[in-house]
Amino acid sequence: MTRRFVAIRAAAVLLGASSVVWATAPLVHTGWANLALILAICGVAGGALRLALAGVPVPEDSFLLPPPLRAWLGFLEILRRVPWEEGAVVAIVWLEVLHSSRPWPTAVLGAALIAYLLATHLAESDASPGALRPQVRVLAVGAGLLALGAGAGMLPAAGPGPGAALLRLVAAVALIAAAALVLPYVAARD
Amino acid sequence: MSFSSTPNGPARDAPGTGFSLQWRSSRHARRLLTLGLAALFIAILARRPEFAGLAAPPLLLLAAGRGQRRPPRISLRAQPSTRRAFEGELVAIDLDVAGQGECAVRWTLHPGREIEPLSATAADGPQARFTFSPQHWGRRQIGTLDVVLRDRWRLAEGHLTVNLPTLDCYPAPAQQRTQVVLSRLPNRLGEHAARTFGEGIEFAGVREYVPGDRQRSINWPASTRRGRLQVNTFAAERSQDVVLLVDGTSDVGEPGSSALDLALRGAAAAARAYLDARDRVGVITYRWGSVGWLAPGLGRRQVYRIIDSMLASERGGAGPGESAYGTSMRRLPRAALPPGALVVVFSPLLDQRFVETLRDMRERGLTMLVVDVLNADPPVRPRSTDRMARRIWRMEQEAIRFSLRELGVPVVHWDGIGSLDLPLARYTRRPLVPVGSRR
Repeated sequence: MTRRFVAIRAAAVLLGASSVVWATAPLVHTGWANLALILAICGVAGGALRLALAGVPVPEDSFLLPPPLRAWLGFLEILRRVPWEEGAVVAIVWLEVLHSSRPWPTAVLGAALIAYLLATHLAESDASPGALRPQVRVLAVGAGLLALGAGAGMLPAAGPGPGAALLRLVAAVALIAAAALVLPYVAARD
Repeated sequence: MSFSSTPNGPARDAPGTGFSLQWRSSRHARRLLTLGLAALFIAILARRPEFAGLAAPPLLLLAAGRGQRRPPRISLRAQPSTRRAFEGELVAIDLDVAGQGECAVRWTLHPGREIEPLSATAADGPQARFTFSPQHWGRRQIGTLDVVLRDRWRLAEGHLTVNLPTLDCYPAPAQQRTQVVLSRLPNRLGEHAARTFGEGIEFAGVREYVPGDRQRSINWPASTRRGRLQVNTFAAERSQDVVLLVDGTSDVGEPGSSALDLALRGAAAAARAYLDARDRVGVITYRWGSVGWLAPGLGRRQVYRIIDSMLASERGGAGPGESAYGTSMRRLPRAALPPGALVVVFSPLLDQRFVETLRDMRERGLTMLVVDVLNADPPVRPRSTDRMARRIWRMEQEAIRFSLRELGVPVVHWDGIGSLDLPLARYTRRPLVPVGSRR
């Protein structure tokens, strides 16, 4: 087990845990916040456990095994099949939306979540961080859009009423869509 | 899917076998999609643009990753280092992929039954090499191979599972260096010293010189003592026919050292030892009243033919140049069981019909030696009746062996751990006297 192997797994776990803490604090008690918190913790913990036990071999023949070993294999099977990270991400975003509008912390959370998913991906595929080099430009554009979104959230409404907020939202989504349309051609030059 | 090419078949530069890939989103892509969609959904519902910004990076990554090239087909080549191996022997398989483009390749080997991997079972790169060792004789599937291709951004994965070629695993021969030699040998050149005089190298005696004898064979000390010219005489060197009779009826004992395992390993060792001594060796495999056979032959290749024949009989088939399985023991041709041959039997002597066959063969005048490979007792529970049954069973076994010895068939026991030379030592020191002849 190399140092890089351990470091990437530890980074994934720490990023997941810090995202949960970031999205939770300060704790609110509305909109099923407790359930979302439990789901987020379970998701991050399950993902961490899955990464930690990824190298445990499963015997080819599972017939006539003693019950404790069969239970252990069943546990491993569940651990490897359940989409822990997806659940954690949804719960964390849910926790974040329960707070009143705070654009910059949300942007930081977005960056942490992206980093969490990338670290998890590197950990489970045993790849070095260099494998992400082709995506750096896209990630930079994404970070710019993240900042733009946060900035749009901080802009005062153009006018009173819900229409202004909707307008800002439409503008942000249009920006993302435009970037998504243009980016494949940018990325193809790599 | 499996490889159409067989190991040792095509050359290294031969084209591989083509396979279609099934591409699907990677777990990473699914996670990014979940984050992007969840954030976008919340942005629309809550009308908060910062969540649209949160959705931007994952959706951008997914959108940009759509442009990656993904080959629909790749060409794979699997080349085992050998097609035949003995138990415990190291075997390697070289894997090579072509047509993957810029995609990263990950190989995962799932070893088959009785295949012990000796290296890591996962590797990255367009070429990979896995080493393993077959643990038990028989025709073994090396295993299955999972090949995963990932595009440059690792957002899509092409999956492929292929069956690796089969490997013929031979029983690891036991150790045997000495041979049991008959006292009467056929008139054929070989390496065993016969009782008749001839052109061998083993000193046999001294006789008086007759015209025509070679001058270099004159024994001068003996000539000086006797006052007349004496010459040395040497024993003729002959070879014998050896038929290995393997009883495959009962397979009792622990897997890996069962009676059948020991019979095959012992027969392989005997075949090697007698062929090394230039004897003609054949094999008869007995199973449930019928036999498969291979006529005696010479040479190193005969070892492999014999083992192939034994394994083919175990599979219920017939190898090249041998009989189909199902011939009766009484109807064996002379080629399979030549008169005057030494018959070395490997059996646990559990099948009564086989024991009767041995008695019948003995009465027909064949010289036999039985290697008893039974090393297991029936399982017994702590009950007096079970213990009694086991004692009766043991007495029956002893009676069978006693009756064979009384008929003049030596029975030696081999535990499968030590060398075969040890139980056979009593019979390898001096020639084995055939039936009906006197020393």
